Amino acid sequence: MTDERELIEFVRAQRWFASRTKDVVHARVVDRAVLREDDPRLELLLVEIRFDTGTHETYQLLADETLDALADPRHVRELVSMIRQSIKLPASEGVVEFGAVSGFASELRDARPVGVEQSNTSIVFDEELILKVFRRLEAGINPELELLRFLTAHEFENIAQLAGWYSYTGRQMDATLGILQQFVIGRDGWEHALDTMGEGAGEFIASARRLGEVTARMHSILGSDHSDPGFAPEETSAESLGLLTATVDEEIQSVFLELPDDVPELEPIRGRGEEVRERLRVLTSVGGAGRVIRHHGDFHLGQTLWADGDWVILDFEGEPARSLPERRRKRSPLRDVAGMLRSFAYAASASMQLRGVEPQAGWELRVRERFLDGYRDTVQDSLVPTGTAMDRLLQVFELEKAVYELRYELNHRPGWVSIPVAGIVRLLDEEIPG
Amino acid sequence: MSEPGHWFERDPLWFKRSVFYEIHLRGFFDGNDDGSGDFRGLADKLEYLQWLGVDCLWLLPFYPSPLRDGGYDIADFFGIHPDYGTVDDFRYFVDQAHQRGMRVISDLVMNHTSSDHPWFQSSRTDPAGPYGDWYVWGDDDSRWSEARIIFLDTEPSNWTWDPVRGQYYWHRFFSHQPDLNYDNPEVQEQMLNALRFWLDLGLDGFRLDAVPYLYERDGTNGENLPETHAFLRRVRAEVDARYADRVLLAEANQWPADVVQYFGEGDECHMAFHFPVMPRMFMAVRREDALPMIEILESTPPIPDNAQWGLFLRNHDELTLEMVADDDRDYMYEEYAKDPRMKLNLGIRRRLAPLLDNGRDEIELMHAILFSLPGAPVLYYGDEIGMGDNIFLGDRDGVRTPMQWTGDRNGGFSRSDFEQLYLPPLMDPVYGFQAVNVEAQLRQPNSLLRWLHGLIALRKEHPVFGLGTYEALRPDNPRIFAHVRTYEDDIVLCVHNLARSAQAVELDLSRWHGFVPEEMFGRSRFPAIGDLPYLLTLAPRGFFWFQLRRDESE
Repeated sequence: MTDERELIEFVRAQRWFASRTKDVVHARVVDRAVLREDDPRLELLLVEIRFDTGTHETYQLLADETLDALADPRHVRELVSMIRQSIKLPASEGVVEFGAVSGFASELRDARPVGVEQSNTSIVFDEELILKVFRRLEAGINPELELLRFLTAHEFENIAQLAGWYSYTGRQMDATLGILQQFVIGRDGWEHALDTMGEGAGEFIASARRLGEVTARMHSILGSDHSDPGFAPEETSAESLGLLTATVDEEIQSVFLELPDDVPELEPIRGRGEEVRERLRVLTSVGGAGRVIRHHGDFHLGQTLWADGDWVILDFEGEPARSLPERRRKRSPLRDVAGMLRSFAYAASASMQLRGVEPQAGWELRVRERFLDGYRDTVQDSLVPTGTAMDRLLQVFELEKAVYELRYELNHRPGWVSIPVAGIVRLLDEEIPG
Repeated sequence: MSEPGHWFERDPLWFKRSVFYEIHLRGFFDGNDDGSGDFRGLADKLEYLQWLGVDCLWLLPFYPSPLRDGGYDIADFFGIHPDYGTVDDFRYFVDQAHQRGMRVISDLVMNHTSSDHPWFQSSRTDPAGPYGDWYVWGDDDSRWSEARIIFLDTEPSNWTWDPVRGQYYWHRFFSHQPDLNYDNPEVQEQMLNALRFWLDLGLDGFRLDAVPYLYERDGTNGENLPETHAFLRRVRAEVDARYADRVLLAEANQWPADVVQYFGEGDECHMAFHFPVMPRMFMAVRREDALPMIEILESTPPIPDNAQWGLFLRNHDELTLEMVADDDRDYMYEEYAKDPRMKLNLGIRRRLAPLLDNGRDEIELMHAILFSLPGAPVLYYGDEIGMGDNIFLGDRDGVRTPMQWTGDRNGGFSRSDFEQLYLPPLMDPVYGFQAVNVEAQLRQPNSLLRWLHGLIALRKEHPVFGLGTYEALRPDNPRIFAHVRTYEDDIVLCVHNLARSAQAVELDLSRWHGFVPEEMFGRSRFPAIGDLPYLLTLAPRGFFWFQLRRDESE
């Protein structure tokens, strides 16, 4: 049996381990499947990590003699080969099922891990395919598989086509374990923005309009199928705005309650929690709220590629820190729009912080405008409210996002805290639309 | 699609950690503008329930019924009352609830049917026919006189003469609800078929209504008979054999020592309501004395590890006073039912907020106590916003008025004409929908709804409340109800001030010397536990919950 200490130490050291702030007290393998018997032996482990209060999370590990088999290209090729063959393998308790969606090259040679990732582990093959292994597992279909299937079926072209998936069905839970997609060669949207922040900004600013159009088309398609209850657009209910207010307000309250005392970057917002909540109350007294649909859920420049003069949208998992039922909730598509607006703000700040490059004057404002123009001109009208109601709702979601970022940065990247702080301050200072 | 396992992590003990929410389907939300709540309407409100954070919805009976007893008079165990929709609507609703991480259980009445049920109609007209023996018939009404009459206000006897068959039939509840004859194996089998039918549609379990009365035996009061327990064991075995992670919740309004029999040896019901603790909570806050609660919890026998108590403040029935002594009942009536209209049978037909004179501190205190006790709390729809009641409506309808969603027409419950509504919504200045509604309370950061939402979230972060041990502390100050819950490394100290005045209390926490109490709502750290008794001061009706943390600096 795998040693408990070793499991805990391994998991706690991983970037994808979600609960760094909690105390881990136990770890156990709840199910295992031998994916390959012969040398090199490969095993899939579902590991339950228990915290001091008695709650737990479940993670996927792939193990050879180490717990980090994904570092070995032979093993990841094996996983892809099983997806291609659409095979089913028994685990001790459940079943691991592999499924192929579309054809792909039979011979895979080169496999390289993708460097910067927070919640998963991805490996690129021959610059043609990418395998994403979900680490934290939750019961139910992963939104990424769900949305990619839907968008593929509805002929949305600005995504990396789904090639296959693998999943677990068993006593413990049913969960998506990983997906295989086409690897699209292009420039990461975030890098693209930073690279062009100084002199060559014109190209990116021009492409922002197209990003708005692609985003709007994605939303229009996601809200187009009334026959599928999982995707049918819904009218916002009488208490939708109340629910939104309550959700964001509680997030603000809890983040401000837990602000650490020893982070100087927090000074501009320290003690201003009530002011932020008041602003939220004013903003949410809007008229209509449009409709709610399935949407991207964690939309920012890092989830896009600029490829052959068009945008490709990636990573439909939703915000990893939220529970799966929460990520699958239908909400206003303007959440995605606000996410991208926040990302422009991030890029502008990061340009100085990471590259020492002062963004071209008015960069963020111009990018925002182009992006919003493209979005407004393209989106299916019924999905979003009009006029100042839309502007206000966007600010609500920007605020929600900035607060989410603040919590995330405090837990994971303290050096970046000043960016959401600046975002919150700006929203406080901004005039209220209408 | 509706296989619940698909959307949940496997956990046979999920119900132990869960917060339940009881819904009167007719009164929740009207999805088709006909004046009555329905499954489509309920599905529209799942967004709200998901936000609220409740884990399991308990639905009052939704089966075809003449509705002479709120649907507890079932006329077909395999259908949906047309007012509520169709079986497809039901399936859709359950699937949507599962996708949002909520489970669904429903009421099922095994003891009796409506007198409109075709089985009864056949039984009375054709005594020799296939259903002749499905009910309990007798030539005279003198048998089993030891069995008490439950609905004292309406029923003179447990026997009613049927002129069609020319015999008396037995009924423990209303005379239009004849008891099924469980000595007939066909009745048992058909009831199991009904359970399977709904479980196959994805339902996560049942609240088994009126479960102590299934059998009748000479020389007994007909309650809690061994035959009844044997049948429940059979039900449990059938459920366990074919379905994962389902729950059977017994409604047995009995003393704890009798109720624990319904858990069997972990082989009957998963859950049972703890009826006696509830009136004692109300007594405790009126008398400012923790003793009634401490005593009833002390006299509650231990239950199997795989079982759980269901705890509640109020539900769709009257606040039952069957499980209190006569003088305590008089006290309760005097304190909580000053108007005789408020009494019903052996109970008080009022909602939580009016019972507590709409006192916010009292409502919060009662919820805090409820959530801190060993068991799974069961909330009653509308109580999360502090809805009132209408004692001028008949029977228990006064606590079953439409859910108040907004300040708009019909309280946002229905777009039908007012006259069409199944019951009028509350419109008085204190509890009416213009003053008390979900929409307004969602927007008010300090509303009861928002507070309760936080309480539910906190409870879910700490499985100790559902799974932990319970140990009463007995401080010298009798106005303080304090106890410690422990599960794995989580130690929670709950201290409640039952008094209308501020109180100080010294607690003996010497076992946790050096631990630091961290208040759980605001995360403030209190002084470490030292050599002296731990001194706390509490505001009137105030309470503290602390997580006792090892001091890392030591």
